[in-house]
Amino acid sequence: MDRIQIPATSRSPLVDFDFPAGRLLLRGESYPEDAATFYGPLLQALRACLEEGGGPLTFDVALSYFNSSSAKALMNLFLPLEDAAEEGREVTIRWLYAEGDDTIAEAGEDFAADFSHARFEMVQETAA
Amino acid sequence: MSGEPLARGAPRRGGSLRGAGPMRRGDALAGLGFAGVPTTQDGGADTMRPGALRGAARGRNLDGLVHTLFLRLSPVIAAVVLTTQVVIAWVNYGDQIRIEGERARMMADMTARALAHPGWTETYGPQLQALGLDPAFRFAVLRDAAGAVVARLGEEPRGRSFERIQVSAAIEPGPDARPAGSLTLVLSAEGLRANAEKQFVMVLGASLALILAFALSLRLAVGRHVLAPLRRLLAAMGQVERKDWVTVDLGGSRRPSREIADISAAFNHMVEGLKSGDEARHLLAELERTHARLAEANGLVMESLQYARRIQQAVLPGPEALRGQALEVAVLWEPLHVVGGDYFWMEEIDGLAIVVVADCTGHGVPGAFLTLIVATALDRILHDQGLRRPEAILAALDTLVRARLRQEAGDGTGASDGSDDGLDCGICIIDRANGALHFAGAGLALTVLAGGETTRIKGRRHGLGYRRTGREDSLAATTIPLADGQTVFLMTDGVSDQMGGASRRLLGHRGVAEILKRHRDLPLDGQVAALEAALAAHRGSEPRRDDMTLVAFRTGGKAGSR
Repeated sequence: MDRIQIPATSRSPLVDFDFPAGRLLLRGESYPEDAATFYGPLLQALRACLEEGGGPLTFDVALSYFNSSSAKALMNLFLPLEDAAEEGREVTIRWLYAEGDDTIAEAGEDFAADFSHARFEMVQETAA
Repeated sequence: MSGEPLARGAPRRGGSLRGAGPMRRGDALAGLGFAGVPTTQDGGADTMRPGALRGAARGRNLDGLVHTLFLRLSPVIAAVVLTTQVVIAWVNYGDQIRIEGERARMMADMTARALAHPGWTETYGPQLQALGLDPAFRFAVLRDAAGAVVARLGEEPRGRSFERIQVSAAIEPGPDARPAGSLTLVLSAEGLRANAEKQFVMVLGASLALILAFALSLRLAVGRHVLAPLRRLLAAMGQVERKDWVTVDLGGSRRPSREIADISAAFNHMVEGLKSGDEARHLLAELERTHARLAEANGLVMESLQYARRIQQAVLPGPEALRGQALEVAVLWEPLHVVGGDYFWMEEIDGLAIVVVADCTGHGVPGAFLTLIVATALDRILHDQGLRRPEAILAALDTLVRARLRQEAGDGTGASDGSDDGLDCGICIIDRANGALHFAGAGLALTVLAGGETTRIKGRRHGLGYRRTGREDSLAATTIPLADGQTVFLMTDGVSDQMGGASRRLLGHRGVAEILKRHRDLPLDGQVAALEAALAAHRGSEPRRDDMTLVAFRTGGKAGSR
């Protein structure tokens, strides 16, 4: 599975899904006009990667804003990760939020409630 | 000089530089060879009028330049050369005449001296014969002192005197010897004259040869260094006129004269300028056309959206919907793009005030489509099914939206086609008779401001609709007692998700609550307006990210709305 790198735009986050290294990253803001089109290929790639199996996987999510369709898309990305963790794969989701950004921190806490097998870490970033 | 016009078959006009008719406007330029080129009075825009430059080329016979130069210069040169040579010949001729005269005198003197002895009148024969041997000799006569002819040789000349040289010498045999006499010698000057005439003919021939050589070299030089470069220049002008941006080659064997080289260089410079200007104009024109098309397309889209907004607004309840409830009501409905995915409903049924706020996925037109599905579903739930419990209404809404978007038909594993859309929704049922407010939410919270403190009642985390994940929490209602002066807010996340501020982060629901608390003493309309202003201030230059909707009601107040 190849690495997926998409530069950030004003409405979509930087994507760096380095599947061989087991490191995935979303950073920026996410409110694309069509979230399904943006996240659909990422979800498929993630599923394919998980089917291949492999070592530990870390998913860094560092979004400063995401709309409700992106939230749904994130949930869709998290579900197979949780399933993989349930099957024994080491999966860590690191929810990065700026210091004092309660909205994003709360959203992370909401997401954390969906995970019971994968590790979900709340990581406060001091530098915005 | 061939005189072939540059533009073949075109009528010749003017002929050459010599042509001079009655003066008209522009003749001053025409005289300089600029006929056909529009003057500034015709407007600078006409400079590139098709045919303008070709007209100039057609009207001028460039060979006329050589012709004119030849006709003007050759008579002068010929006259100067001829005059000089004639003067030289004349001086020569005079010298020859003088030398011949001196020779004649010397001959006469020598002969006279040879004869000067007594009895010369008898012995003159050999000396006189010797004179006759000179090729120029014509006639000689010997006279005695009395003037009687002693002897004569040759034919006595007649006719014009300038064709002969006549000298006389005295014969003086000595003081004692007598008789004295005289010798008159006449030499012919015809040879000299013939010489002079021959020289004149030669000079004339040489002058003609000189003029011919001059004409030829003039033709060659002008042709090579003036006419050919000018033709190239004119040809290039013709091409440039048709916006074919060619420049003129300044090197090669047909190197133009300095003046024409300067003009050609200036022309090349101008062509470069025109070319880049033309390209820029083309780009600009293309840009303007594109911009116009975009503006038109955008205008159509905006018109269409405005129409859609009227429809969407017609679906929303009017401000008098809860008139009978003695509630102060304020509404903020601000789609991000004219129409949007935010929806609210207020209705009084069976003495209950029902307030619904929904935030459908997406905004703009897709969001607006979903709001219509929600509106239809809600109408069925409230009027056909008659549901009055908020959690029941939410559950029914969930079912109806899934059914309408056919989200149950798929296998739920999220193939990229098919709908995975839904909504966040919050419902308040205000039961004035029992003094209770029942709230249920799915992804949408209730904010209550009472006694200067805000309380936030979160609904279920997950919204309604979407494909099932199997992890959805059940829907539940919260009941709070109604109290006077209590203000209740239902708002979509677009209200709190305002990016901005010094640290450029989301305002969040805490920030919104702070603003609402700050303005709690205002009438509800004013409080909502103050919130709206504060949100704009927080955003600053950041654009809004989402549709925003807020429905607020305050108990114990008078009926009213915004």
